[in-house]
Amino acid sequence: MAVLDKVEAPPPPRKRRRLLYRLRVLRHDPTAALGLILVVVLAYLVVAPLVAVLSDAFRVQYGDDVHAGQQPGEWTGYYLWRVFRSQVSGLLFWEPLLNTLVVSLGTVVFALVVGGGMAWLVTRTNVPGRVWLAGALVVPYMLPSWTFSLAWLTLFKNERAGGQLGVLQAQGVRTPDWLAYGPLPIVVCLGLHYYPFVFLLVGNALRRIDAQLEDSARILGAPRRVVIRRIVAPLMLPALSSAVLLVVGRVLGTFGTPYVLGLPTDYRVLSTGLYQSIRDRSTGVASVLAAVIVVIGVLIVFSDARLLREHRRFVTVGGKGAMDRLSDLRRSRWPAFGLAMAAFVVSVLVPVLTLLLSSVTRTPMDLSTLTLSYWFAEELPGAVGFPHGVFRGSELWTAAWNSLRIVGLAAVICAVAGLLIGYVVVRGTAPRVAGFLRQVSFLPYLIPGIAFAAASLSLFAVARGPVPALYGTTFLLILVMAVTHLPYSSRSGIAAMTQLGREPEEAAQVAGASWWQRMRRIIFPIQKGALVTGIVLPFISGLKELSIVIMLTTTGTQLLTTLSIGLVDYGYTQLANAVVLVIALVSFTMTYLTQRLTKSSLAAGLGG
Amino acid sequence: MPTISLSGIAKSYGGGDHAVKNLDLLVPDGAFMCLLGPSGCGKTTTLRMIAGLEQPTAGTIAVGDRVLDSVEQGLYVPPEKRGMGLVFQNYALWPHLSVRENVEFGLRMRKVPADRRRARAEAALEMVHVADAMDRYPSQLSGGQQQRVALARMLAVDPAVLLLDEPLSNLDARLRLEMRAELKRIHEESGATIIFVTHDQLEALTMATHVAVMNKGELQQLAAPMDMYGRPANRFVAEFVGSPPMAIVEVGPARTELAGSLLRHVTSRPGNHAPAAIGIRPEALRLDEPPVSAWSETAQVEAVLPAGSSWTVRLRVLDTELYAVSYTPVEARPGDTVTCWTDQMHLFDGEGTRLAAWNAVEVSA
Repeated sequence: MAVLDKVEAPPPPRKRRRLLYRLRVLRHDPTAALGLILVVVLAYLVVAPLVAVLSDAFRVQYGDDVHAGQQPGEWTGYYLWRVFRSQVSGLLFWEPLLNTLVVSLGTVVFALVVGGGMAWLVTRTNVPGRVWLAGALVVPYMLPSWTFSLAWLTLFKNERAGGQLGVLQAQGVRTPDWLAYGPLPIVVCLGLHYYPFVFLLVGNALRRIDAQLEDSARILGAPRRVVIRRIVAPLMLPALSSAVLLVVGRVLGTFGTPYVLGLPTDYRVLSTGLYQSIRDRSTGVASVLAAVIVVIGVLIVFSDARLLREHRRFVTVGGKGAMDRLSDLRRSRWPAFGLAMAAFVVSVLVPVLTLLLSSVTRTPMDLSTLTLSYWFAEELPGAVGFPHGVFRGSELWTAAWNSLRIVGLAAVICAVAGLLIGYVVVRGTAPRVAGFLRQVSFLPYLIPGIAFAAASLSLFAVARGPVPALYGTTFLLILVMAVTHLPYSSRSGIAAMTQLGREPEEAAQVAGASWWQRMRRIIFPIQKGALVTGIVLPFISGLKELSIVIMLTTTGTQLLTTLSIGLVDYGYTQLANAVVLVIALVSFTMTYLTQRLTKSSLAAGLGG
Repeated sequence: MPTISLSGIAKSYGGGDHAVKNLDLLVPDGAFMCLLGPSGCGKTTTLRMIAGLEQPTAGTIAVGDRVLDSVEQGLYVPPEKRGMGLVFQNYALWPHLSVRENVEFGLRMRKVPADRRRARAEAALEMVHVADAMDRYPSQLSGGQQQRVALARMLAVDPAVLLLDEPLSNLDARLRLEMRAELKRIHEESGATIIFVTHDQLEALTMATHVAVMNKGELQQLAAPMDMYGRPANRFVAEFVGSPPMAIVEVGPARTELAGSLLRHVTSRPGNHAPAAIGIRPEALRLDEPPVSAWSETAQVEAVLPAGSSWTVRLRVLDTELYAVSYTPVEARPGDTVTCWTDQMHLFDGEGTRLAAWNAVEVSA
């Protein structure tokens, strides 16, 4: 019963025995193997495309050998020169860059003013209908971002672009180009889509500020405006900077709106420029542009993280007394409500109703030409590319089925991968594997979708080794979509698994359950809820996704989003609007139901 | 019934730090072994290695003749094949399964037919007095009930080895007392070998048949509870076990007046070496009439802290503060001068190893 006599330290065991022991342990613990598989898959799907796009940017592409004066495949600075210094560099890069800056800045200002103002109204004042407004003002984010641009075109389009004229033009009012196309409408449309970002982030921050902090300042004799300037504003800084950088990051990678509204006047931003370069098959230039977008995206997220870290010391835990007193607007209560309603009307009702009305009238919005033929007619005279109502023929149904199939599969892959990553990170015995998975699965978050799609094209467009060329296949689309949504699902997967801890599984293990039994009977049943949100959120976001899809689909795999953009290209306003309405309806309904059923908040899903 | 043996067990998580260093431990068949030590001493790691949830970096773990881990021979049995029972500190009940399903899980894994499964689950739940909560879910149970269900879940499969990782630390004081008695009863009824991890010395002293005190990954002492209390192997054990803790007086070259007084007394006896430190347990420091042979000194009473059945007195003895615990009422008031004495001292050498008890009435288990 006593301590065994201290034996002489055993001779160092032979390495092979030790290895045998390690192997036996590994054989019984698939976590290690799973971790390794995930590392390889993520390295291939996330890291490799980025490497490929960088290498494409510095290598002579086929067809460019004459211009570059080098053999295809050689290392070259030709594309850098072409994008940054050549005579066409203005057209290729500097002008789109400037335009991107203008659009980003404009969108940020717009979103800050509207979103910030509404956040203040809803959280800090006694404006009527606060609860309803808090939900209603988030709706624009549930609509596909280019809903607004289609509505805009329906209203303001002039004869410069082909197809149906806008409402005003049809009434005989000449809409100038600056109103119909280019920076102004792009800023307004993106601003209307992204102000809910600011609204949510700033609103949450305002809600969390402890009223006692303000009371203390008031008691010490600070007048109201000093309290706002010295207390509230500094505390709001992290949320504001986060919101700004998020909006800039999103605008950087957004494709639909600048494409629809910029194309007629050749107003290009980086994302549409990148798209153009890829369509023109100038792979080298496209790679440089994609790399630039990636770099800007990474810089944005890093500065956000840095700012957040610096502001962390500001983070205040809301006391219970937070926010039980609201500023009394007195006589301006109803005018303020009117303002908030106006925001809702302009950002939700106007675009949706415009699209709806235009899709049921021959001359846009002219009620005397009311018709349901754009929805249901078997034959539409004059529409060669799409000669029937959207619900007729196979196009919409095929596209819907494709969307459901592709986005659904991507969402399921994404959620399961996220959970498995969480499992390996929490359970894994190898900290380096866990660290790699954690960071690499988050990497796509830093990269605007359109640049990531371009990077994937670089890697998968041609056959490499045993991997055949995947361009145009649904398989590639599914992979890229799953990977771009991975940051959200891996974060939530890691969070869910961390919260669960390893004990429930270990308890099952000690009770005699094999790995499969543990997965089937313990882990997945417990994580059912996390799995469902992990599927639904990427699914909704993927359904509205255009930037990635537009780069990777061919006519063989039409999705709802690409179908609607295709119809815009044809100039079939009503049909395009009808399809966008379908997308908006599906995405809104699903978001709403998910929020209702899971009580999850959209704010938590902002990353996805 | 099995004997659990650990030999040469070491565990490191990379880097130079060892969670467990070259541990040799023999848990006899049917023992109630407590692994006792401060947090981070490697006791939970040791338990998890026995369960197979962690792997040693060196050494061998065996139950009876069955080798579970042997790094040197390349042998390994995964946790699910070890047939042990384990209760976690936070119970780790499966939230999506009812109490009954939780308890039946292990039997299901062992492919026990449904009717026998049911009967055994009910019997196990009866044993821990939560049979009435059979169809509830873990979130609907109180902490004490959850703890009992975790116990029942383990007992249902009737394992020969029960491992418990601080299972009482999340319970309130009254429930803890009750569960201590319960565990002791279960140990006697089932005859299983139990290894129990705790940082609570009272738990170790009250329940265990054997206590292994660990610190910084090393075994400090393995003994019967009262032996360990009476004859701590070294300074660490002496200070860790006992509350209020043993007072240790350094007897270095720059010693206090108290140390000088104690040392003169100790070395006045022939055959005693000069120790490096002297320890006195509070209850060995008495305030009544001193016997002639005892060490005694006048002391100032600084505070009297009655606690119902005992009285803790803070004394200033010469230049040092000491605590005395008395089980008879203390009449003295703060500021009074009293005589304190003891005839039980623990002597430690420079390494901290206990040399002897001076004048001690050797306490035996």
